[in-house]
Amino acid sequence: MPKLTINGKEIEVPAGTNLIEAARAAGAEVPHYCYHPGLSIAGQCRLCMVDIDKVPRPQIACNTQVAEGMVVHTETDRVKDTRRSIMEFHLINHPLDCPVCDQAGECWLQIYYMKHGLYDPRMTDEKVHKPKAVPLGPHVMLDAERCILCSRCVRFCDEITGTGELGIFQRGDHSEIGLFPGTALDNNYSGNVIDICPVGALTDRDFRFQVRVWYLDTAKSVCSGCARGCNVEIHTSKQRPHHNQGKRIARLKPRYNAEVNQWWLCDIGRYGFRWIDDDSRLTAPAVKTDGPAVETTWDEALAAVAGALGRYRPEEIGVLASPQMSNEDLWALRRLLDGLGVANRDFAVPPREPGEDDKLLLRADRNPNTRGATLLGLGPGPGGLDAGGILDAAAQKKVKCLWVLHHELTASGFAAARVNGALAGAETLIFQGTNAGLTSARAAVVLPSAAYAETDGTFTNFQGRVQRFRPAVTPLGEAQPDWRVFGQLAARLPKLTAAGDAALGAERPDQVFAALAAGVPAFAGLSYRGLGDAGQMVKA
Amino acid sequence: MADPKNPRFTDQQLAEVRRLQGLYPDKRGALLPVLHLAQDTFGYISLEIEAYVGTLFDLSPAHVHEVVTFYTMYFQQPKGRHVVAVCHNLSCHLMGAKDIIEHCKTTLGVEPGETTADGKVTLLTVECLCACEQAPMMQVDDRYEGLLTTDKVDRILGGLA
Amino acid sequence: MAEKILSKNFDSRDAHTLAGYRQTGGYRGWDKAKGMEPAAITEEVKKSNLRGLGGAGFPTGVKWGFIPKGSTAPKYLVVNADEGEPGTFKDRYILERDPHALIEGMLIAARAIDSRLGFVYIRGEYVQPWRIFGAAVKEAYDAGLLGASVPGGGFDIVIHRGAGAYICGEETGLISSLEGKKGWPKVKPPFPAVKGAFGQPTIVNNVETLVCLQHIITRGGEWFAGLGTKTQGGTRLYSVSGHVARPGVIEAPVSVTLRQLIYEHCGGIRGGRRLKAVVPGGSSAAILTPDEIDIPMDVDGPKSKGSMIGSAGVIVMDDTVSIPDALMVVARFYAHESCGQCTPCRESTGWIYKMTHRIVEGKGRKEDLDNILDVAKRGAGTTICAFYDGAVGPYISYIEKFREEFEALIRSGAHA
Repeated sequence: MPKLTINGKEIEVPAGTNLIEAARAAGAEVPHYCYHPGLSIAGQCRLCMVDIDKVPRPQIACNTQVAEGMVVHTETDRVKDTRRSIMEFHLINHPLDCPVCDQAGECWLQIYYMKHGLYDPRMTDEKVHKPKAVPLGPHVMLDAERCILCSRCVRFCDEITGTGELGIFQRGDHSEIGLFPGTALDNNYSGNVIDICPVGALTDRDFRFQVRVWYLDTAKSVCSGCARGCNVEIHTSKQRPHHNQGKRIARLKPRYNAEVNQWWLCDIGRYGFRWIDDDSRLTAPAVKTDGPAVETTWDEALAAVAGALGRYRPEEIGVLASPQMSNEDLWALRRLLDGLGVANRDFAVPPREPGEDDKLLLRADRNPNTRGATLLGLGPGPGGLDAGGILDAAAQKKVKCLWVLHHELTASGFAAARVNGALAGAETLIFQGTNAGLTSARAAVVLPSAAYAETDGTFTNFQGRVQRFRPAVTPLGEAQPDWRVFGQLAARLPKLTAAGDAALGAERPDQVFAALAAGVPAFAGLSYRGLGDAGQMVKA
Repeated sequence: MADPKNPRFTDQQLAEVRRLQGLYPDKRGALLPVLHLAQDTFGYISLEIEAYVGTLFDLSPAHVHEVVTFYTMYFQQPKGRHVVAVCHNLSCHLMGAKDIIEHCKTTLGVEPGETTADGKVTLLTVECLCACEQAPMMQVDDRYEGLLTTDKVDRILGGLA
Repeated sequence: MAEKILSKNFDSRDAHTLAGYRQTGGYRGWDKAKGMEPAAITEEVKKSNLRGLGGAGFPTGVKWGFIPKGSTAPKYLVVNADEGEPGTFKDRYILERDPHALIEGMLIAARAIDSRLGFVYIRGEYVQPWRIFGAAVKEAYDAGLLGASVPGGGFDIVIHRGAGAYICGEETGLISSLEGKKGWPKVKPPFPAVKGAFGQPTIVNNVETLVCLQHIITRGGEWFAGLGTKTQGGTRLYSVSGHVARPGVIEAPVSVTLRQLIYEHCGGIRGGRRLKAVVPGGSSAAILTPDEIDIPMDVDGPKSKGSMIGSAGVIVMDDTVSIPDALMVVARFYAHESCGQCTPCRESTGWIYKMTHRIVEGKGRKEDLDNILDVAKRGAGTTICAFYDGAVGPYISYIEKFREEFEALIRSGAHA
């Protein structure tokens, strides 16, 4: 591997590394716009200039590969002066939109001007005018005046999605990013161009004018939209609860993970978080006495559920768990059901419309934890019924207690009549989930679940990668994480209290995880600390 | 007459497109020649033609549009039966191009970039055509006309059908 | 009068036909070259001190040598017939009056670099030259001078018309355009000889450069070198225009001085007026004052005065010329032709044109001149290609050498 010196520090990096990455390895940040590690080299912005010994003029770092013995300087006076020049070139025609531009606070013209520019502007002629506030598609807004023509978005649509919607038309300072007239930027990855646009040229229509980015808090998490579990950051507006239309979660951004999603996030995942702050969220337990379920205390609701679980024989109980639940939730449920001897359990409810793989990130399976549910044994126990069987048995009143977790059965792939029969037939219908729906409306007991964004936990993605999500906000109302509810139920069931299960007795989610790692060979040796930010694979 | 709003090449033209594509190691190399062919056929390059040509090259319409808007010889709007392109670069400027351009504007009654109302002439001012020995000069359709005087310009414009 | 070598066929009525061309001794250079080893051809060209005649002036033999040795990739010979440098028209003469000389040069070069496929990129506006050259290529094919029968595996020529963009005269901008894209120059490395057109090793040569080859082969590299100066061999075609009595293409040894070109070859300043300024190498070359014209017009002469020989397009200005007005015309050209790919050129060519336009409209401000100079100096050397440096040449030299005239215009607030 070539050895080179950067700012006096000797480092060794793989052959083929460019100087931006090499400098980063040596602890030096080389400012740049058009370079992106996930895209081809453009060499257009000219900002990433560095000085190299024996080379008369500064060179762009993105297109220069390391060589044995190379000596690089990223902070010479000449490099700094060149950066100041390049910043001025970038700002010649740039509109003074900061007060109305969403990018403010995370804009790389602002950031680099403050760091590398700080000159007095002298361009007093009329700037070039181009179209502003042009919707390119359902999610992306273009302001062509703000565009610095780094071409990242064009390269993204060519190289990552292969859809080629964007181009740079005309030439000179009339060059303009745009769509072919009559087309739209509506592929399932359109939101990524917003991430990679260094400035406010491509902004999020969903996020437009909602809240200033300096009010946002961030939490590392994982998307729950499909079995890939793209790594994300959840950005929340807790500091300004009256902004963002009163909703807590402002937006999702992808988090880099080389093995899962690289730098990208699909639109379905990126914009699929509205349910977390939706008015349909279940925020309090409810118990039906006469008429519809009435809000009540956890104490009452837990008593009702524990009563039902205690009253019925194991074969009269049917449980539809969900691959939307975390590993912790699922393991605690498994321990509860095993303790009760309930074998009629399943997690595989077919969707109404089968999803499709899109050959990039999106998986056909639109659940984040199918692999976890499989590995943790939430399928039917010995002699137990599967999901369809449970529904039919409920319709026939053989299963008297039907406990549905998270599934909106009326929107599933099960025929309406079959679902109706089950919901009508079950003597006691328990619904535990995050959002109200037609199934919860018919339940005798409703238990509000915390959303994944409101708690700590893990999902296991389709590759077998166990990934942590961290709480971005606190549970809404009185909602609780499912695993905690199962423990509270266990405390009310004498048979289970006596057993003293580690998962059911846990007070913190990492304790539940430790219990499942001890109990399930596939998870042996894993821990929250070990999972870190990038996750770990289950054992084969 | 080939319809620029509903463009289709004839079988013979499509064979020519394939022949041109075969001359290059990557068929995309034939894009500029095929756009010239399209302009000769349809009179100018409409958006519909861009999308159609894109299908012949497996190129997104945006990438064809990039090429059409980059080069000055592709007209994106209908042009006159004749194109009169007067050079306004340095040698021609030194030799009186400004007067020639003013004369053309007055005689034709249009600004550079516009087409006369009768559809006869599109007037353009262009950069160096590399015939500076004949400055001031202009390109009229396919041919260069140089050593221009206002009289010579009148004769040339008058001779356009 | 020096012997006409490159321009000997220009006044002939039929040298553009194969029969006429052969009668003047055409294709004898190729006859000899096709029996030579490729390395021997390159050696002869290196000895000749032939420099690229399109604008960059790079030693041709050295350029050919950049193709990786032992490469089995297909190698392309690309002819830059995208003549576009303001003040230059000599390649047009060759295409129209001596097209077979280009074909012959291509055959020799192709053999030297082991190329089976040549592309001739002709600017789109050159319709007559395209037709004439196309007819010559057809004649050559019919006579078996091109095609499969060419020794060394055959040689084909594909003629490719441009569509109007000066930047396609830049060798990698030309390559991008040849590939069916916008004429955006490419970041280097990789260099064309390593990875050029369609990803393969490519040599881009100017029309006139290739026309020199037959003479180097038939009469020797040393002979060619001896015609010129220490650093550049041969004669070249000077395009002289502007305020001279007899504008046109002048062939002369590269040792000819600018004064000789203007006053001896082109009849001096027209109308008895005086020389005020002259551009020696196309509009991208820094302007020279009357006391700077006693320089040989080779690759080093104009350089010694801070300018360049470039494409040898000589534009002569007499004392009726307003230099600020001339700069505005030149600045307008660079703003119009900037491809827009990289930031310094894209943004500042437009801005600088706005400033020069304001100055000639009588709305100049005193800080404009220093702003133009400083912006130009900051941008020079920072761009993907040398286009911007070609703009910087005039921006800086016109203002620095004629500053008083600019300042007077700004002070007076008059139109230029």
